[in-house]
Amino acid sequence: MTKKVINKSDISKLLKDANNEYNVYVPMEHIGGDVLFSLLSKENNTLEDDIKRINLSSEKTVNSPKEIFYPQLDTMMEYNDKGEIKETVENSKKLVFGVRPCDFHAIAHQDHFFSKDYEDKYYLSRRDDSLIVVIGCNQPPLPNECFCTSVGTGPFLTEKFDIQLVDLGDYYLVEIGNEKGADFVNKHEKYFSAPFRDEIKHAESTKLEAEENVTLKVNFNKALQIMKTEEIPQDNLERIAERCIECGACVYVCPTCTCFDVFDDMKDGQGVRCRIWDTCVFSGYTKEASGHNPGAKKEYRAARRYEHKLKYDTLESGISGCIGCGRCLHSCPVDIGMSNFIKEITTNQKYH
Amino acid sequence: MKNEYIPYPAVIESLITESFDTKTFKVKFADKKIAENFNYVQGQFMQVSLMGVGEAPISITSSPSRKGFLEFSIRAAGKLTKKIHELKVGDTMFIRGPYGKGHFPFEEIKGKNLIFVAGGIGLPPLRSLINLVMDNRKDFGNVKILYGCKTADEFCFKDELKAWNKTPNTEVLLTVDKATDDWKCRVGVVTELWKDTDIKEDNAVAFLCGPPIMIKFVVQKLEGSGFTDDNIIMTLERHMKCGLGKCGHCNVGDKFICIDGPVFTYNEVKKLPKKDGAM
Repeated sequence: MTKKVINKSDISKLLKDANNEYNVYVPMEHIGGDVLFSLLSKENNTLEDDIKRINLSSEKTVNSPKEIFYPQLDTMMEYNDKGEIKETVENSKKLVFGVRPCDFHAIAHQDHFFSKDYEDKYYLSRRDDSLIVVIGCNQPPLPNECFCTSVGTGPFLTEKFDIQLVDLGDYYLVEIGNEKGADFVNKHEKYFSAPFRDEIKHAESTKLEAEENVTLKVNFNKALQIMKTEEIPQDNLERIAERCIECGACVYVCPTCTCFDVFDDMKDGQGVRCRIWDTCVFSGYTKEASGHNPGAKKEYRAARRYEHKLKYDTLESGISGCIGCGRCLHSCPVDIGMSNFIKEITTNQKYH
Repeated sequence: MKNEYIPYPAVIESLITESFDTKTFKVKFADKKIAENFNYVQGQFMQVSLMGVGEAPISITSSPSRKGFLEFSIRAAGKLTKKIHELKVGDTMFIRGPYGKGHFPFEEIKGKNLIFVAGGIGLPPLRSLINLVMDNRKDFGNVKILYGCKTADEFCFKDELKAWNKTPNTEVLLTVDKATDDWKCRVGVVTELWKDTDIKEDNAVAFLCGPPIMIKFVVQKLEGSGFTDDNIIMTLERHMKCGLGKCGHCNVGDKFICIDGPVFTYNEVKKLPKKDGAM
């Protein structure tokens, strides 16, 4: 694997250059301190302000980069009352900079999901011409909730990435994973230089330390095995259902949740058909026009989410629907989360 | 890459008011090329929409043996279907599909006796296969069609019910939950029709569509009559938004009703998690 180094002070210059060719998405600080993946401005007067708000430290983005390829609200087509329909597909060239390893695994999960059976043109067009730069996690961004080492999705990637950065203080070691990554580095070669042996060594020890820093451990493989062969105990589901306030936060922050609703909106002879994220924990999710609701029971809706991610996704593709990012637990107002669920079914202790 | 979500205009050629809440729309694709290349099989469905209103899955009720058009029998139940009921001959609706890898068998059931059991709006999805059988009648044994509705004014396809009943070796049996004075057939749930005809497993396959409670009791009856789980075939309905296995709404266990179904054998349905209310 080819390796380079880049000074941290050159990152903003690199991104500004790339901004001429790509739509650049990068973690930025917003009002209130939330860090979110945001599109770098193309306007000179606002670009400088955006650059200042970039945050590539160990802060975790509240939302995963999912919404770059699969926006929460997406227009699918425009039409008029003459019956003329125009598809609205977005296919800009994208650079997504600063993706965490677990979220990169989630993108692989989404790539598979949106390609199988029927190709989803909206997702695949957005994703098609995109370059992803991963930053490994020296420290777990959510110290109490990250559990990537149990799932095998972090804190660093070992393969399949375009580019991976290792934070070494004042500079990053740049690991180039494929031709696409190499093309990008070559194009911007003035910012990159060859690493010294010490730097490569330093990166290796950083990765080992990073593994140690992820302290939340769960028996993920045992959970997958149990889910494959056994029913989730009823009292476990009931305790989750009792606490769940059905806010849907876990689903919105989950990097692998894909469910959506479709709606039409028309005014003065011009209309749009859009899709918007939906969530299986809402009781109306399965309600039919007749009033019949086959998925109405709350504990079964909770079970559905865990079974889908841990059992059916794994059986279907071998790719688990949980990537250990910890966002569900972090966002839950009543402390329900995947790691707690896994602990419960693997240890018989109550965490909910 | 084809955009599967984009629908095509289809013009209403004729429409029949079946009952107080159900109409059958006969439509043709506005684009001749699309019409010529369009094929479907019995048991599949289309995503039907009106621009500015919404989209819903509707089963194709016409038989693939009758070419050049599509028929949908639609009950006015929600926002979209009520708007569709306001459409007139010559108006346009938008359709895409057909969807559903799981459809009704045809070649495999030749030479067999067939039992169809429908409740309410459950007959339209079965009618696609019934008319395909009628158009190849000599290839099949006895055919029994058991059809129950809440009241007599709910029955669809009244002329066809008579015509099917007049076909040799074909029997149509009707029942209503609530009868009026002029009702001459049976009163009670659809399983009451077991008293009016001899239902045997003897080289037979059963096809079911109706509300979950009906399916449950009909399956019990059929099992009592000796039917195996593979010879009980049903078409399931779910809230759906895409028809492509993406929106997630019709997901039950490891299956999506839209792409893996909507037609399943009872053997397959039995393996789905009960808590998701497959039946």
